[in-house]
Amino acid sequence: MDSYLLAKDRLDAFISRLAASLSVFVPAKGQDGLWSYVPAARAAPSDALTPEGGNTNMSPKSFVFPQTEVLLRFDNRPGEGGMILRQEPGPAGRTVVLGVRPCDAKAFSMLDGIFGGGASGDASGDAPGADPYWAARRAATIFFGLACNYPCPTCFCDQMRCGPHHREGLDALWVDLGESYLVTPLTERGRELLAGLEPAGQADLDRAESLRAEAQALLTGKIPMDVIEEREVLALCALPLWEELAATCLNCGACTHACPTCHCFDIQDEVKGASGRRLRNWDSCMSGLFTRHASGHNPRGDKLSRVRQRFMHKFKYIPVKRGVVGCVGCGRCIKVCPVNIDVREVVRAMNTQPPGPPERSA
Amino acid sequence: MSNEEFSPRIATFLCSWCSYGAADMAGVGRFSYPADFRVVRIPCTGRLSPKFVLSALRQGADGVWVSGCHPGDCHFISGNLTARRHFTLLKNLLEYVGVEPGRLHFSWISSAEADKFARVATEVAAAVRALGPAQNTLSALIKAV
Amino acid sequence: MRSRIVNIRAAAKQALEEGPCRVVAGYAPGTMAMRARPIFIDKPEDAGKLTWSSFCVGNLAGLLTQAAHAAPGKIGVVAQGCVSRNLVGLIGEGRFKREDLYIIGVPCLGMAERRKIEAKYPGRAIIAVEEAEDVFVVRGKRREVRMLRRDVLRDNCYTCVQRNPVIFDVLVADSAPDAEPSTGGGDIDKVAAPWERLAPEARLTAFEAAYKDCIRCYACRDVCPLCYCATCFVDESQPQWLGKTQDFADIANYHLLRALHCAGRCTDCGACESACPQNIKVRRLTSKLEKDVRALYGHQAGMALGEAPPLTVYKPDDPQDFIK
Repeated sequence: MDSYLLAKDRLDAFISRLAASLSVFVPAKGQDGLWSYVPAARAAPSDALTPEGGNTNMSPKSFVFPQTEVLLRFDNRPGEGGMILRQEPGPAGRTVVLGVRPCDAKAFSMLDGIFGGGASGDASGDAPGADPYWAARRAATIFFGLACNYPCPTCFCDQMRCGPHHREGLDALWVDLGESYLVTPLTERGRELLAGLEPAGQADLDRAESLRAEAQALLTGKIPMDVIEEREVLALCALPLWEELAATCLNCGACTHACPTCHCFDIQDEVKGASGRRLRNWDSCMSGLFTRHASGHNPRGDKLSRVRQRFMHKFKYIPVKRGVVGCVGCGRCIKVCPVNIDVREVVRAMNTQPPGPPERSA
Repeated sequence: MSNEEFSPRIATFLCSWCSYGAADMAGVGRFSYPADFRVVRIPCTGRLSPKFVLSALRQGADGVWVSGCHPGDCHFISGNLTARRHFTLLKNLLEYVGVEPGRLHFSWISSAEADKFARVATEVAAAVRALGPAQNTLSALIKAV
Repeated sequence: MRSRIVNIRAAAKQALEEGPCRVVAGYAPGTMAMRARPIFIDKPEDAGKLTWSSFCVGNLAGLLTQAAHAAPGKIGVVAQGCVSRNLVGLIGEGRFKREDLYIIGVPCLGMAERRKIEAKYPGRAIIAVEEAEDVFVVRGKRREVRMLRRDVLRDNCYTCVQRNPVIFDVLVADSAPDAEPSTGGGDIDKVAAPWERLAPEARLTAFEAAYKDCIRCYACRDVCPLCYCATCFVDESQPQWLGKTQDFADIANYHLLRALHCAGRCTDCGACESACPQNIKVRRLTSKLEKDVRALYGHQAGMALGEAPPLTVYKPDDPQDFIK
């Protein structure tokens, strides 16, 4: 699709126009210094899409996968029809989120494969086993991305089949050219919202490309995964690396909550008298309770198994099952981990550490 | 609803040996007191965990009342004496975060004090009724349903 | 700071060589600026991996409880004032014995709050921070900014009551009270309970504002040395006491209950605030409880071996004017 230009001094007007028919969210800095997505009306104009912002503290996954979501409500009315179940209605209107980084957007594409029941990138909700709640929110939420011109020291998206100007999962990609944004629609619904913008010229496209190349040049870390691909699951499980990690990992779950690709959840009913609601809440494989069976048996009852699970899931099980890597290289887990466990080191070790003594298998 | 029509639900934790006995005796003695209490019998006030109080508030209790043996008379010797310290900190903390003082009540009532039981029950119900339904600690479930 | 690092390494090396210790818990430099990571070493030649800085913001006492039961021999642990108080507390609670520990005591200059440094840094990304006694030199790609230690300390360190370890086997720096202040200088009772000044409705607003961003990751609980229950109340399911939703009532109950479980035991080490990914002032509730414990029961956690935790004992004349 063709690209357009949006001058920065026209950004507020553009947002106001969008806000007439959709909810608009932008990244903004809170009083506590943390970046998060807030309604555009609440953000100071100068905050919106500021490049120094880096990325938001928590990923935008909660737009499509909220931390607490009511799935259905029920009432038991004997004599009036018995147990009445009502599916919770989906979002009332559409939402557009500005300033989404390519890593977070790629995560949506990956999660489409899991929640959508179909292939990565299929957000239609039509496949058998598709999650209707995910599909409804996905259909109602438009993501406009902001390309990264200045990756953070913790970014490694390029090593995870993503990149600072990557387009997967976005409805449009914006590149900050200095005085204006180069805006490239990537889907029909993205293009509809960008009607009326001035077309970009070749010089603008060239500038964006050189910004991309400069950003790419700042990403120097290498995280090869070729050996992980070849190694057997049990051989990876037996690496001595897991003992070292388990010694200091707190099993807290900060990484799983900050992660844009983590998607595990727990469903619970809350009942009061004859009525109640069925809820879905985020859960974490770091929790001891996560795999506990009703019998009391817990296949991952020890910390080492849980620590190992997280990395095996993202870097071995998901690639084997789905053909995509389960991480997008956003670096949030590195930033939030209270004991500075660094996923880049872990993956490098998974790729290079020689197998230890075989006393510990899966 | 106005506060006069409002019937509070007060989660009431009574120690088995003293205060529960007093409640029983108040019944036998036909003492009159409001019917707003949901009684849970615990073996001793030393058994009371703040989990019970917070869980009760979350599930819709408008107030909580805990009652046990007088200090020195505890059936388990010192259960109520350690409980006293726990109660103090719990009450201070809940008031510190904005729970109204009139929602949380504590008393020492011996098994012979049926009249005191009825009197304190009346006071507690009046205090909670005056505050209206508890909103702050209520789960969204209660509000929605 | 350099001398502390040298002495910690020497003490760890000696302890591992001479056998009292089979393992030493300390910190190693982190993989990015302003981070240090806990580490266990079991060979004298690995002592060079140890470091010390104002970014050692966890609490090693919490990590010891697993290592403690693994194999015979002492565990070495690098501990500043508040952490040593937690060790005293955990010994009192039976988590380990004094004779099983070899404490490498560190008189503390105060921990940094890296998010304060980030907020004050005008550039894009911080690449490295060097520290001297009073100053942090914060470096990015294109600029260097100097910040005073006293401007970027973690909140609890301003009101530290015990910089020097209360128990130790070896000290890695001078802790004479004349040479170096043994406290943070602030009056802890003045700042421990700011909401006391507010009317009840305003208190609820302040409470919500303080905790509403909680994502229930439980990092605060998991870094805390006091939280070692085999089954945490959060995970109890028969019955389930705590709602798992993001309703504020559920968030509030988690923090209220955890604070109450720490009452009389908390040393205000601040590891919870450092661990929180959402910058929540987790100490708001525990600092109020500890203020009450000081005022009502005259107790400060972990100051001396052999003291009973205040919520396990009682006095005949404990205050009870609110009890009918």
